[in-house]
Amino acid sequence: MSFISPLFLIGLLGIALPIWLHRLQTHATEREKFSSIMFMEQSQQRIHIRRKLKYLVLMALRILFLLLLVLAFTRPVFFVAPQAAVTENTTHHVIVVDTSFSMREGNSFAQAITEAEAVLDTMEPDDIASLYSASGSVTLINPVTADPAVIEAGLASLNPDNGRLDIGAMIAALDTLIESSQANFLIHFVSDFQQSGQAVRFADMVPDVINGRPVSLNIHQVKVEDVPNWSVASIEVTEVDQVRVGLLNNSEETQETEKSISLAVNDVVQQTLTESFSAPSGGVTYLTFNNIVFEAGDNRLDVSMSPNDSLAEDDQRHSVFDNSPPAPVILLTANPDSLAVTYITTALETAPRGYEVQLQNVNGFDPRVLQRYPWIIVDDIGSVNDILAQELRSYIDGGGAILAAVGERSAARSTLPVGNQPISGGLAFSRNTSYSVQRVNTSHPALDRAVGWNNLNISRVLPIQATTQDNVLISLNGDLPLLMEQNIGLGRLLLLNTSLDNSWSDLPVKPVFVSFIAEAARHLSNEEQLVREQTVNSFLQLGQSGGAAGQVYDPDGNRLLSLADTTRAQNILLEQTGYYRITTLGGDVLVAVNPDPRESDLSLMPAQALQNWENMVATSAGAAGTANTIAVSAVEEEPVSLEIWRVLLVLLAVIVLMESLLGNRYLRFTTGNS
Amino acid sequence: MIELGKTDNRNAPTRLLQPGVLSSLSNLELVAKAVVEGFVMGLHRSPKYGFSQEFVEYRAYTEGDDPRHIDWNVYSRTDKTFIKLFKGETNSHLMLLLDTSASMGFASASVSKLQYGKYLAASLAYLASRQHDAIGCMTFNKEILEFRPPTSKSGTLHGVIHTLDSAEPIEGTALHKPFTRFREHVKKRGLVAVISDFYCQPEDLQDNVQPLTSHGQDVILFHLLDPGEMYPDIKESTLYEDMETGEAIEVSPIFMKQDYPAKVKAHIAAIQKAAQGMNADHVLIDTSQPLDRALHSYLTFREKRA
Repeated sequence: MSFISPLFLIGLLGIALPIWLHRLQTHATEREKFSSIMFMEQSQQRIHIRRKLKYLVLMALRILFLLLLVLAFTRPVFFVAPQAAVTENTTHHVIVVDTSFSMREGNSFAQAITEAEAVLDTMEPDDIASLYSASGSVTLINPVTADPAVIEAGLASLNPDNGRLDIGAMIAALDTLIESSQANFLIHFVSDFQQSGQAVRFADMVPDVINGRPVSLNIHQVKVEDVPNWSVASIEVTEVDQVRVGLLNNSEETQETEKSISLAVNDVVQQTLTESFSAPSGGVTYLTFNNIVFEAGDNRLDVSMSPNDSLAEDDQRHSVFDNSPPAPVILLTANPDSLAVTYITTALETAPRGYEVQLQNVNGFDPRVLQRYPWIIVDDIGSVNDILAQELRSYIDGGGAILAAVGERSAARSTLPVGNQPISGGLAFSRNTSYSVQRVNTSHPALDRAVGWNNLNISRVLPIQATTQDNVLISLNGDLPLLMEQNIGLGRLLLLNTSLDNSWSDLPVKPVFVSFIAEAARHLSNEEQLVREQTVNSFLQLGQSGGAAGQVYDPDGNRLLSLADTTRAQNILLEQTGYYRITTLGGDVLVAVNPDPRESDLSLMPAQALQNWENMVATSAGAAGTANTIAVSAVEEEPVSLEIWRVLLVLLAVIVLMESLLGNRYLRFTTGNS
Repeated sequence: MIELGKTDNRNAPTRLLQPGVLSSLSNLELVAKAVVEGFVMGLHRSPKYGFSQEFVEYRAYTEGDDPRHIDWNVYSRTDKTFIKLFKGETNSHLMLLLDTSASMGFASASVSKLQYGKYLAASLAYLASRQHDAIGCMTFNKEILEFRPPTSKSGTLHGVIHTLDSAEPIEGTALHKPFTRFREHVKKRGLVAVISDFYCQPEDLQDNVQPLTSHGQDVILFHLLDPGEMYPDIKESTLYEDMETGEAIEVSPIFMKQDYPAKVKAHIAAIQKAAQGMNADHVLIDTSQPLDRALHSYLTFREKRA
């Protein structure tokens, strides 16, 4: 045994305190003086002896309490010899069971467990084994043990999940997980060996020679034939009342079948279609549901297919349709008929979120309506007079946001309104020079998905001097800013140093403009751009646009984030199928999660490929095994360190309880006596 | 006989200060004065008891008499010294024997038996001095710790009170040696007040007190008991240690509640019977009660023996 913090052993001196106190107490309370005992008779029960014993027990408890407290602080560590001793003849059976989604098919998983148990029967007395499950990730179920019963218990606890198995990733993970072991390895891989799980590079499926030890591979395939399988591949709202459902034939051959397909919206079945259809291998058949009624906001779309085939779990699919109306946004302009207005309106209306642009003339604009809008657009910031500029600045200061550009009216000013950026040289902006983008800050939320800035042709910009409050996001040659952001109070101003018509640059007519406007709108309105339909083991990215993550509920309704985590950006692993609900200040948002469609493809790896795989591993093992045979006998397993401070804390709690009960009884006794 | 813990109001007015209040007075003489003055005031209102100094006769002055009692008017007329004798004044002397053994230190309240005994002895001394009785005292446990022979000289009261005041509860009780020595020193007849808790065998008491009464001493036994001794209240078995011997014994609450009071009562009855057998008075005193009863008993006793 050793101590991580032995200095705390000084605390053992504290044990003297209860001993001293109890000694004082003993003198003070053990006997009661009386004038004469000449008329008294000895009690039949020697209760004072019991009391004395009780008193000693109390003292012992208190000493034990202090002892455990000190030990807990010193953090004792025990070094335990490994359960499984390694000898020259030891083989480490690494049993890996595929628990991916495809193993739900028929009795595949039960067969896998049987195969794994059969492996245990082949173990020699000196052999050791460990158990791993492999799906979206590789998980250690049982560490190295010589007891097959432990592995059997681990096997009994396994169940297929919704993840996808990539064999290449699995082998890489195994290399990491078992690299510290010292025996000869024999990997037993129990799986259905889907074609879709095969690594892109065959070499990725060959494990490294771990720690210089030989490694062998035994393949235990639970299926030998392809199984036909239909799955619901897609759900798409094509019109406002029309849903198209794609059904995928995952078989190797053309299949013809008759199925009943039901569409439920928000748990209410709206239509059921029963049709005969056929599709080639890998082909999709589409069915269309008409006259579907959606509610406002997010709608849950559930499609199920019956009768089920052998993999019933992919005969259903979840999807989300956002039926929210377009969000209104003000476009302040001095010329409603300008090209800039056309470009901006078009870009916003085609954005995934959908925006309704409300034109307002900068002259006579009533700034009181600003509070109804989370963000606005100004096509030429120079058209804003000083009074309105002050109002806009107050609007930003209170949490609003503005996307602004420059134009002819800005060129006439020495300082830009709202942001107060000075323009050096006044009107001396370039007319004939061509500018190019030098640097793009792609870490900014408004720019992380927009590409193509380097292909712009920019002929005119203003010689704006960025202030210390400005963060230049895109810079041009000559250190001129093209896009910059200024935080004002609780809000922000995003300023584009070129006009929004195509007279100064070709930005408005380039594809990057649409994505930029969409991302800028999302960023300025603090909305998340969520992918509403995701696969298992993908990540839900929240708070990426600068807002709070909000609370996330899994399909079972469990909270996934602590209160503190809801205020920060989060990446949440989606492990279950169904609907995840994200609750933010802006309302609830649903995300549908479905199994990876590749898991529905039950086509098997060719037998020859499996044989080649085994041979490749065996070849690699032979080369390494010869060189390391002698070293085995010298190998000793590292002792396992075992910290017991948690156990000590539990014991402490028990002793505190016992001391309280006993102390209370003793206290009651003495007061009663007095 | 009264029961401890219960006030006997048959004869005793309870206007005297409670023992707990007396204990706040630091001066024992002041205690005695407060007790006796209050007691005497009560007597003046009582038709039963007289406390007068009615002139009876003159007697020639002899050496040893208090000069204050010389009638100077007679001297001026006859040139002879005579002293006045009053009714109730029988030239008796009072010896106070105070037990100071360790058991007298027991107290369940604010006043121990020894402290109460001191109050009682001091009050008796003060009362006797008012009646011009000679007073003396003896404190004892197994031995005679201090002895003052009876005298009516001025300053005797202060000396007696000082002796009483300095007494401490130590060691055990053994009556034989102190009482034997006492008989050797006090030959003159008088009143003997023994103040003790009498944790002794009645036979032993009789053996030691009987000689005193046989020689003409009038003995009164003030038997002091604390209420906690008569009715000890314990809720669980307790290990009791004898204050005199240091021996310990564990007793059950059932015994202390049911059997022990009866045993104490039997002991008191035995002491009382022994007192009767040797023609002595026995007065049981509850140390939680005022001193009325003791003083009344003393006056009755004195009047009876005068």
